[in-house]
Amino acid sequence: MGNPSATLSANEARHLLRRTGFGAPRTTVTQLTGRTRGAAVDGILSFKPTKFKPRGSGTDARLYSWVRYMISSKFQLQEKLVLFWHDHFANSDAKVANDRFMANQNATFRKFCKGNFKDFVKTMNTDVAMLEFLDTVRNFKDVPNENYARELQELFTLGVKDFNGNANYDQADIVQIARAFTGWNYDYRKAKPYFDDYYHDYTADFSERGPKVIYKNHGGFQPTGRNYAPTADDEGAQEINAVIDIIFDHKDTSGKSTVARFITQKLISYFAHPAPSAAFVDTVIAESNFDGAVVDPLKPAWNIGALLRAIFVNDEFYATAAAADPSTGFDASTPKSVKWPTDFVVSTMRLLRMRLQGRYAIVNGGDYRSVHDHLENMGQHLFEPPSVFGWDWETAWLSSSTLLARYGFARDLINARGTSTSRFRPQILVDLNLTDPADIVTAVTDVFGITDQLSDGEKAILADYLTNNGAVSSLDLHDYDTRNLKLHGLFALVMQTAAYQVH
Amino acid sequence: MALTRREFLTRTGLATAASFLGPSFFRHPFVTQAMAETIGDRYFVLIFLDGGNDGLNTVAPYDNASGMRDAYNTARSASSAGGINLAPASLLVPTPLTPAQALKDANTGAQLGLHPGLTGLKNLFELGKVAVIQGCGYPDYSLSHEVSRLTWQTGSALNLGTGWLGRHMALNYGSTDVSAVCIEDAVHTEFKQTATNVLAISRLQYFSFPYDDYDDADIAFKRQAFADLSTAAAGQAQPTLHYTGVSGGTTLTASESYRQLDGLYTGARQTWDSGYEDLDNKFAQPHTNYVARDLREVAKIIYGVSQGQPMGNPAQARFFEISTGGYDTHSNQGGASPTGQHWEILQGVGDAIEWFYQDLANMGVANKVCVMVYSEFSRRIAQNDSGTDHGSQGPVFVIGGSVQGGCYGNHPNIMDPNLYLQDAEGNTQYSQAAGDAFRSTDFRDVYGTILKHWINMPVTGPSGINAILPADGGDPTMWWTLPNFDLGFV
Repeated sequence: MGNPSATLSANEARHLLRRTGFGAPRTTVTQLTGRTRGAAVDGILSFKPTKFKPRGSGTDARLYSWVRYMISSKFQLQEKLVLFWHDHFANSDAKVANDRFMANQNATFRKFCKGNFKDFVKTMNTDVAMLEFLDTVRNFKDVPNENYARELQELFTLGVKDFNGNANYDQADIVQIARAFTGWNYDYRKAKPYFDDYYHDYTADFSERGPKVIYKNHGGFQPTGRNYAPTADDEGAQEINAVIDIIFDHKDTSGKSTVARFITQKLISYFAHPAPSAAFVDTVIAESNFDGAVVDPLKPAWNIGALLRAIFVNDEFYATAAAADPSTGFDASTPKSVKWPTDFVVSTMRLLRMRLQGRYAIVNGGDYRSVHDHLENMGQHLFEPPSVFGWDWETAWLSSSTLLARYGFARDLINARGTSTSRFRPQILVDLNLTDPADIVTAVTDVFGITDQLSDGEKAILADYLTNNGAVSSLDLHDYDTRNLKLHGLFALVMQTAAYQVH
Repeated sequence: MALTRREFLTRTGLATAASFLGPSFFRHPFVTQAMAETIGDRYFVLIFLDGGNDGLNTVAPYDNASGMRDAYNTARSASSAGGINLAPASLLVPTPLTPAQALKDANTGAQLGLHPGLTGLKNLFELGKVAVIQGCGYPDYSLSHEVSRLTWQTGSALNLGTGWLGRHMALNYGSTDVSAVCIEDAVHTEFKQTATNVLAISRLQYFSFPYDDYDDADIAFKRQAFADLSTAAAGQAQPTLHYTGVSGGTTLTASESYRQLDGLYTGARQTWDSGYEDLDNKFAQPHTNYVARDLREVAKIIYGVSQGQPMGNPAQARFFEISTGGYDTHSNQGGASPTGQHWEILQGVGDAIEWFYQDLANMGVANKVCVMVYSEFSRRIAQNDSGTDHGSQGPVFVIGGSVQGGCYGNHPNIMDPNLYLQDAEGNTQYSQAAGDAFRSTDFRDVYGTILKHWINMPVTGPSGINAILPADGGDPTMWWTLPNFDLGFV
């Protein structure tokens, strides 16, 4: 349950920072340790969304710009949310084919990232990249195109089935909602949507399609359903907002808000762990009044920020913060979540205090690849999600191919030898006066904040690496070769551990 | 095994035999072992057309037997602006090896033609190596990409969580075996399970473990530490860490064996090697899809596996998967013009499969390889503005040296212009009713014949097909019960 006055341990502070941002730098962990969950979370959530928009010409340049911003931004939660919304409203430049529209959409994600979810969805209805991606611009009155109407329900708001496994809508609802979205297009130069009523489906012109009634069989509106344009005056550009209002009133077969449960479950899966219990979902919805179950001017409905606060002060959120058992590691019941490639890359760059080099955002070591290629090889090509479903999460991130990409990224980082900010500089991360192998291992795992995530056995393997299986008993890290070989090698190995791939 | 179309859908006698012997018979370890027959020295390759391939334009009516062509012309516009109608003259009508193997719909008698882009597939059809299985689907067809894809790939609408071939592998392969390779960055759902290993390799050439080469003498220590760390993680009870550890360890060892297959193939088979690239290079972005390059990776592995390479640590994979996209043609699908999207992607697939087949034939293993091409659904009968919305049943292609080529199943009924025989969405009706002239093919029947006749699995028993493909339950005139389709591999 929600427990805002509980005090954060170092372990929990690290967890909170790691999940609400990219990596948990030691100084920030120290600052939050001992504060209450509520106070810490309020601080993290207090940002005012910035107007940042990925810059440059071409999608690659925009990608570099955004990744750099994730690495440097003070507002880590904001970028973590923008990444979530990019996956949720998963539009790909492979179809949109316009990096300016993609960048505008990215800025819209930022504007609404913790705002009002209903307003957010209404805005996305006519987002120019979305109009293009899901064919709304090709949705004409004569033969309505169902693409957006389907994904709006399946992916953006309701989900195919509710928590009880019952359908939330049927094909008739898709067909009727597609009518509402007919006639929308955009001005290419201004990158702004407009409504063209010539192409709009008016009830009088298509009497065979019947009234614009949806959810006759689902959503708690049975048997009459709800009409999103009951009179001629209600028809036209406003229909798409009326549809959203009805969708947000949709109730599942438990009588709960379908939209609230759907998006809350997804946010918890992203920020905490997969497959959260219905009780966890319902608790944070009730505590934040996300579904507007009670009318309270101080607790307006659909406030994403309030919902996030309820998640971040909940006991279940901290279930993944536990330390490993020294001898057996983690038991089967501890929830773990695989780090997204973007999280893996951005948090590592931040923790190693490294910058991407030059115009092409290069990691200057090993294969000398741009961050674009690293992310793509790990399975997350930003601005080009694989489909409208976004990316597959959790262990789907980890195949032999993407694991090698992660291992290769680690290798390339430690291979970037030199003194500039784009190079790997262990001397600013660990004390070179350390000589004891076990102390050196701890210093390095501390950099990544995973010392308590490793079993004693795993730590011993790392120490054995340093000592060549006990051939030496201490190391002189001031020695150029020792440092470049063994300390660099240890950093790579720690980044390649299973523990570092997960939260 | 000789096969006529009339024999399509005969039940096997094995189910009866199993019940006679009783369940305890199958629990005996010796029997379990003996019945757990596997793919042996054969290979199976899945090609997934991602997005919902328009089946009606892939295998289209050529003549007007039973009014099939008229119905097609009503549904598909011949307009120059956005029309996707394929005129009869544009269709590829293969000359069959024997009259029985013609690309003709048995039910209506309609001559069918392949999409004009599918020249490669037509050539193989004429060799008798392509089975076109019409009207494949399942009841209550979901028009959601995700739901339908999961239904096909898990082999059930019941959300089983594992892939249909994954369940077969889990029963027949050990925890350190590598049974399958996906030629992409992720493991595909068909192969999903946790009991044995599936590699994801997009290119063998780059499938190597990245060591820092500051001092080569240290690489042995790095390797040992990484291997030990993987073992330690694999030993944890926490499933995600366990998975990551197992995957890391397998990746390390596989990177040391599979990568060698690349040089082995490119060294020995240069003409075949470059031929794949030439095929891909025919197309401009974004429609190239690199299907030929993907199939080349499969050819490299099959070449190595069939020769027991690499020596001392031979690769073992028998199952392969590639995916190729661009099929969600809601708009700008294109008709009978070689610049259309559907044309280009189909041509890419057809040509690549033909080259792949010839490559295998040249290696002497064409009779050991079976390829299945499918999509999560077909598309709406009537076109929209310049494309097609999501539809229901569509054709599946099974290709290989041992395949009995020909046309199986019934073409979906597109013939009523008033659509009353079609469902509320305007998609063809699905039916398993025995007397229905337009009876559909359940996709599990296709899987069933592959599992039974290609992978040699028994129908019943703990590792039998019934354990891999659970029956839907419900009305047998709609829902699937048992694999009862025999493709009859030679």
